[in-house]
Amino acid sequence: MIRNFSTPRRLKNLLALLLTACVWAAAEAQIKNPDTYTYLTLSDADSMDPAWSYDTASHNVILNVYEPLFAYEGSSTEKLEPRIAEKVPSRQNGLISPDGKTYTIPIRKGVKFHDGTPLTPEDVRYSILRFMLYDRDAGPSSLLLQPLLGYPSTRDEKGTANPKAFQDAERAVRVKGNNLVLTLPAPYAPILTILASWAPAVSREWAVKNGDWDGTQAAWLKYNNPKKESSPFFERTNGTGPFKLERWERKTKEFVLVRNDSYWRTPAKLKRVIIKGINEFGTRKLMLQAGDADAITADRSVLSQVRDIPGVEIIDDLGTVQMNPVVYFTFQVNTVANPYVGSGKLDGKGIPNDFFSDVNVRKGFAYAFDYQGYIRDVNRGKGTQATGCIPKSLPGHNPKQKTYRLDLEKAREHFQKAMGGKVWETGFQFTLTFNSGNIPRETLCQILKRNVEALNPRFRIDVRPVEWPKFLDSYRASKLPIFVMGWQADYPDPHNFAFPLMHSQGDYPATQKYKNPEADRLIEAAIRETDLSKRKGLYARLQEIEHEDAPHLVVLDSVAYRAQRDWVQGWSHNPIFPDSPSGSYYYPIYKAPKPKGGAGGTGKGKG
Amino acid sequence: MFGVTALLFAALQFLSPEMRASLYIKDPRQLSAMEAVIEKYGLRKPLPVQYGIWLKEVLKGDLGYSETAKMPVERAIRAFFPATLELTLVAFLPILVLGVYLGTLSAVYKDRWLDHLTRFVAITGYSLPSFVLGLLLLMVFYGKLQLLPPGRYSLDVDLLVHSEGFRHATGLLTLDCLLNGKPAAAWDVFKHMILPGATLIYINLALLLRITRSSMLEELGKDYVRTARAKGLPGSLVVKKHALRNALIPVVTLSSLLFIGLLGGVVITETVFDYPGIGRWGVVAAQQLDIPGVLGSTLLAATLFVLANLLSDILYAVVDPRIRIG
Repeated sequence: MIRNFSTPRRLKNLLALLLTACVWAAAEAQIKNPDTYTYLTLSDADSMDPAWSYDTASHNVILNVYEPLFAYEGSSTEKLEPRIAEKVPSRQNGLISPDGKTYTIPIRKGVKFHDGTPLTPEDVRYSILRFMLYDRDAGPSSLLLQPLLGYPSTRDEKGTANPKAFQDAERAVRVKGNNLVLTLPAPYAPILTILASWAPAVSREWAVKNGDWDGTQAAWLKYNNPKKESSPFFERTNGTGPFKLERWERKTKEFVLVRNDSYWRTPAKLKRVIIKGINEFGTRKLMLQAGDADAITADRSVLSQVRDIPGVEIIDDLGTVQMNPVVYFTFQVNTVANPYVGSGKLDGKGIPNDFFSDVNVRKGFAYAFDYQGYIRDVNRGKGTQATGCIPKSLPGHNPKQKTYRLDLEKAREHFQKAMGGKVWETGFQFTLTFNSGNIPRETLCQILKRNVEALNPRFRIDVRPVEWPKFLDSYRASKLPIFVMGWQADYPDPHNFAFPLMHSQGDYPATQKYKNPEADRLIEAAIRETDLSKRKGLYARLQEIEHEDAPHLVVLDSVAYRAQRDWVQGWSHNPIFPDSPSGSYYYPIYKAPKPKGGAGGTGKGKG
Repeated sequence: MFGVTALLFAALQFLSPEMRASLYIKDPRQLSAMEAVIEKYGLRKPLPVQYGIWLKEVLKGDLGYSETAKMPVERAIRAFFPATLELTLVAFLPILVLGVYLGTLSAVYKDRWLDHLTRFVAITGYSLPSFVLGLLLLMVFYGKLQLLPPGRYSLDVDLLVHSEGFRHATGLLTLDCLLNGKPAAAWDVFKHMILPGATLIYINLALLLRITRSSMLEELGKDYVRTARAKGLPGSLVVKKHALRNALIPVVTLSSLLFIGLLGGVVITETVFDYPGIGRWGVVAAQQLDIPGVLGSTLLAATLFVLANLLSDILYAVVDPRIRIG
């Protein structure tokens, strides 16, 4: 031992210094940051350009900074109220023509953009034209192109722009005096609901001053399908909404919104809104607990962790406009170099390419799934079994529609009939896929596997997670025999579910290679029908076909919950608002001590 | 350095254009535009052609656009790197000082309680996953005691650093706050680095401590040390002036690697503490096949590695005059 060197006393002093490094004032305000609302989410936004963004994170900010023609009234997904429009057109007020093709929309006066310039009908026209003609790949433009022009894209399959698109758009969207006049090629029932979420008003003058399209025919092609970051709207905004975007800090995935004190209605109560992306749930939860966050994104699997935090309120049983999960069958599987179909033949070691085109195979699976067990055990008893492709929260939903239920006897009967009895005799083997990391979908697959395999020892199903890039590849190539996905509405209309899930040209049936001509006819008729009760009749028949054909299995009409600090007041739920129920329309929200005996928000109503 | 990026590009041979398009296609409803997206971003061009295009742009100073950072790659590096550098500086100095100090003490007091204590610290630091330690620290110091929050700074400092008059002279926020005459803000920024810094220190201290201990034990057993003691030199002088300098050579190597490892970003710590550093961005870019982002961060890591090697070589000469450069 060497004396007089670095004695333990020095070490003790060092340790003591480290331990006393932080001395803190314990006092803190009861409501943290009373003028500022902080929402912590998972998602990362894409762009602030209303003509570009097609993701909920971006759209949540956009609809607080910009304003569309209409908005949903409170929690309703049917009733609209005017926003930058003066009135909502209807047959009763004569603003919708008798043939359902012309909509006259008076524009509100006295509205200003954040830069102080007045909103004009010409700005609204420009906004809609720009939304359509921008038409970036995989973007939202088709939502208005289809109803207003009659076709979903300004470019053909080779990417060549349609030179008539501008003229068609110009004819469809005109200004007459203080009115915006929309002329549709055919009646299109959901047009007003689409305009309640999309194509909010932007300033043409601001756009042109900042290098964007000037609204003319001569220049539109240059701005068709541009690069995201080339748009002046990408990270800067100039809307008419109750909040302005102060900055988008991409380094910290943070949006800072500040109150628009010149708003055309009474300015919002909140001075500032911060929306921040934090991936780690533990961190989000701790910040909610500490009061540094006022609401957070949290899925149902972690509800038990947030429910009992002091000062945190849970608002549950909130309606949604989504179908998730849905189990899709591929009617014609591409068996070339396909790792999911085994031998590719019905020989007990694989499945042939048309395995799921047999309705008895599909019904065998339909009766083998434990719908109530899934809701009880995976969804903690929340939600109800879906009755068809149209969710409960939308008109056209038929609560009396016959549904499948777990019935292993019936499952057995159908498998015994399938392919003339060969399926039962020889058995089959294939891989069932879900997107990796999604535990509810994994559990769903395991339930199906277990129940189907229990019917016949010759039935073999492998369950495998697939990463998103790999999934895309396989999905596009129709290589997935069964896949589990969800569908979230673009706008709250039954067409936005019926078409993508049941029409032969819809997103899923096109890949599944499913086609039922009667279903197609019903969907096409329903979109043209503006009488709601007639539409409901058409959708009721569609859902009967859905049950008969079983091209997919709908499982859950889900409900969501919201976790917020109990000092949050004024929040109300509308399931169509982007990122709801955690994300919000911030205008009515404020922070105040919880009133005695009441909740801070209302989750009731149609939503 | 470019060899590393060429290797990465070669690995991309295994990913189809459809898989690489997943960076732009987030939802099944967008799949109809898949071919157009592939065409637009040139994802079907032969990979050597794609690499050549990228290299040409890099030599012009354009590292491409990072879809995950939502900004040009070069700007993303400038945005994320200073935060990581600052955290590295906060963590590295204590790691180095404590590692060498405790490692030396451990060797000098071999098999006594101090040695056992430091070995316990080393084992737990080495074995404990960083996310476990990080979350535990967060739960105690933030969740329970409300002392040390996650993130980069508080709301007030957020407004300050984004205000018009604030000058970002160095990119190191603590220093910038001091240069702007805002010591309270500097303390706020530093306070946000305490927990991630403590996590990094504890996890990384172990290795340095053990290497220093082994190296010191080896030196202390050599003849020249016995000679020095026999000559009657004080013990502290023998250790500090003679043994330690020789023991530091492997420590210098490890330290430079450690420094680079920290500079490359510590993704788990950054994720747990919501710290906007380069590690987190790099991993997200890799997960989402953000190729320009991956290449840019790889290029940065390769550059730092080369610089670290150079620094090590210089330090060897400082520590041991027997080593000549060139």
